[in-house]
Amino acid sequence: MAKQYDVLFRLLLIGDSGVGKTCLLCRFTDNEFHSSHISTIGVDFKMKTIEVDGIKVRIQIWDTAGQERYQTITKQYYRRAQGIFLVYDISSERSYQHIMKWVSDVDEYAPEGVQKILIGNKADEEQKRQVGREQGQQLAKEYGMDFYETSACTNLNIKESFTRLTELVLQAHRKELDGLRTRASNELALAELEEDEGKPEGPANSSKACWC
Amino acid sequence: RELYSQFLREMIIQPGIAKANMGVSREDVTFEDHPLNPNPDSRWNTYFKDNEVLLQIDKDVRRLCPDISFFQRATEYPCLLILDPQNEFETLRKRVEQTTLKSQTVARNRSGVTNMCSPHKNSGPSSLNEYEVLPNGCEAHWEVVERILFIYAKLNPGIAYVQGMNEIVGPLYYTFATDPNSEWKEHAEADTFFCFTNLMAEIRDNFIKSLDDSQCGITYKMEKVYSTLKDKDMELYLKLQEQNIKPQFFAFRWLTLLLSQEFLLPDVIRIWDSLFADDSRFDFLLLVCCAMLVLIREQLLEGDFTVNMRLLQ
Repeated sequence: MAKQYDVLFRLLLIGDSGVGKTCLLCRFTDNEFHSSHISTIGVDFKMKTIEVDGIKVRIQIWDTAGQERYQTITKQYYRRAQGIFLVYDISSERSYQHIMKWVSDVDEYAPEGVQKILIGNKADEEQKRQVGREQGQQLAKEYGMDFYETSACTNLNIKESFTRLTELVLQAHRKELDGLRTRASNELALAELEEDEGKPEGPANSSKACWC
Repeated sequence: RELYSQFLREMIIQPGIAKANMGVSREDVTFEDHPLNPNPDSRWNTYFKDNEVLLQIDKDVRRLCPDISFFQRATEYPCLLILDPQNEFETLRKRVEQTTLKSQTVARNRSGVTNMCSPHKNSGPSSLNEYEVLPNGCEAHWEVVERILFIYAKLNPGIAYVQGMNEIVGPLYYTFATDPNSEWKEHAEADTFFCFTNLMAEIRDNFIKSLDDSQCGITYKMEKVYSTLKDKDMELYLKLQEQNIKPQFFAFRWLTLLLSQEFLLPDVIRIWDSLFADDSRFDFLLLVCCAMLVLIREQLLEGDFTVNMRLLQ
C-alpha cells in the first residue's frame, strides 16, 4: 500500500463550553460551518492530512467537551497530545479569563514539551467583542504561545492556525522525526504508539517506543 | 402538575418578584444582604450562582436538535403563569438577557474599547439565525425545556445541570408536546419534568464526575460494552483492541445520552420505548450498543483506525 503520510500528530482542542471548538474543527476538516452545533459530549475525533515543509502530516484532532463535568474524560487525552489549541471566545470575557485555568490543566496533565497555541474565536462578532485583540496577544505572550484570532464563520485564520501548530509540533520533534525517517517502517504511526501506563491493553498492544 | 406550578412559583416567580422589588425600592439592599455580600448564604449569592447555571442551560437548549425546527417553534401552550403581561417579575428570559448585558458593560469598562453597541442593537449576521427570542407573549419550545432544566437544577443542587441533560429531556418533551391529545400537549411541561426526574434518578450516576471510576460509573459501563462484545464477537473485539480503539472514544456518548445523539429523533423515541419497557433496561442498552458494533462488523474489520473512528462516531 502506498504511504499516505509521513508522520502522524495528535492535536487537542480545549476551552470553555460554547466558544466554538467544534466549529473550528468542522471548518478546518470539512470546510463547513453551522451556527448551531449540538454540544460535544465527551470527545469527538476528526482527521486531516496536510503538507508542511514537504512533509505529509496526518493530524488527528480531538475535540473535547468544555463543561467541567467532562474533564475526567477529556483529561485522559491530554497526555497523548503533541499540540494543544486553547480556545476562547472574543465575545466572552469569562472564557478568556478561564484560559488561565486551562493552561494550568495542560501543565498538569499534558506531556512536557507539548506545543500550545492561543485562539480567540468568533472574530467576526465585532459588535459583541468583549476581549480586545491586544488582550489576547498579551496573554499569549505571557505564556509564550502564538496567538490567532479566528472565525470559523468567515473562515479567518483557520487553516493558518492549524498549520502553525502543526509546524510547531514538527519543529519540536525534528530530531525524533529524522531518526524515524531513516527507518523503513510505514507502520510507525504515532497513533499506535499508545502507552497506557496504568492499564495494559492485552497482547495486541505490543509496546513500541513513544515519542513524547 | 399542581406541584410543578408550585415549583415555578417558588423558583422562578418569587425570586423574580423579589428581584423586581429590589430593583425598584432598593429596600432589600441592606447591610445584611446586598449584591456584594460574600456570604454564601446570601440571597444575592444564590441568585448569581443560579445565573451561571442558567446561562449554561441557555447555551445548550438553544442548540437542541438543530436538524429539526420543532424546538425553535412557538408552543401552543405557553406557560400562562410566567407570560402574563401583568407580571412585573423577572422571567428567565430577562435574566439571561440581563446577565449577558451586565458582563458586556463590565468588559467595556475594562478594555476601554469604545465602539461597542448594546447587545439589543446587534443586527449583524447573528440576528439572522433562528434562535432569536420570540416576541413577548410567545415562547419557543426550547424555552420550555430551559425552564424544566432550570427547575431540575434548583431542586437537585448536587448535580445541577450537566451538558447532555438537554439531550435527555429533549425527546421526552417532544413526545408529550406533539401528542395528538390536547390535554397531554397542554401539560407537557409538567409531565416532562416528572418523567425526566424519574429517568434521571436511574441514570444520574452517568452525569456525576466523581462516580466515573466507581462500580456504578460510566467507565465501568463502557468496559462492560467491550466485555459483552468479547463474548459475542471475539474477532471484532480483538480488531478494535489491536487498533487501540477504546470504548471511551465512542461509547461514552452512546451510554450517557442513551443513544439520543446517534439516531434521528423518531428512531431515538422508538429505541427508548423498548428501553424503558424493559425491566433491566440498562443491560438492554449495553446489548444495543454491542449490536450496533456487530452490525457494522464487516466494515470495522476492514477499516483502519481513522475509518473506524469515523464509523463509530
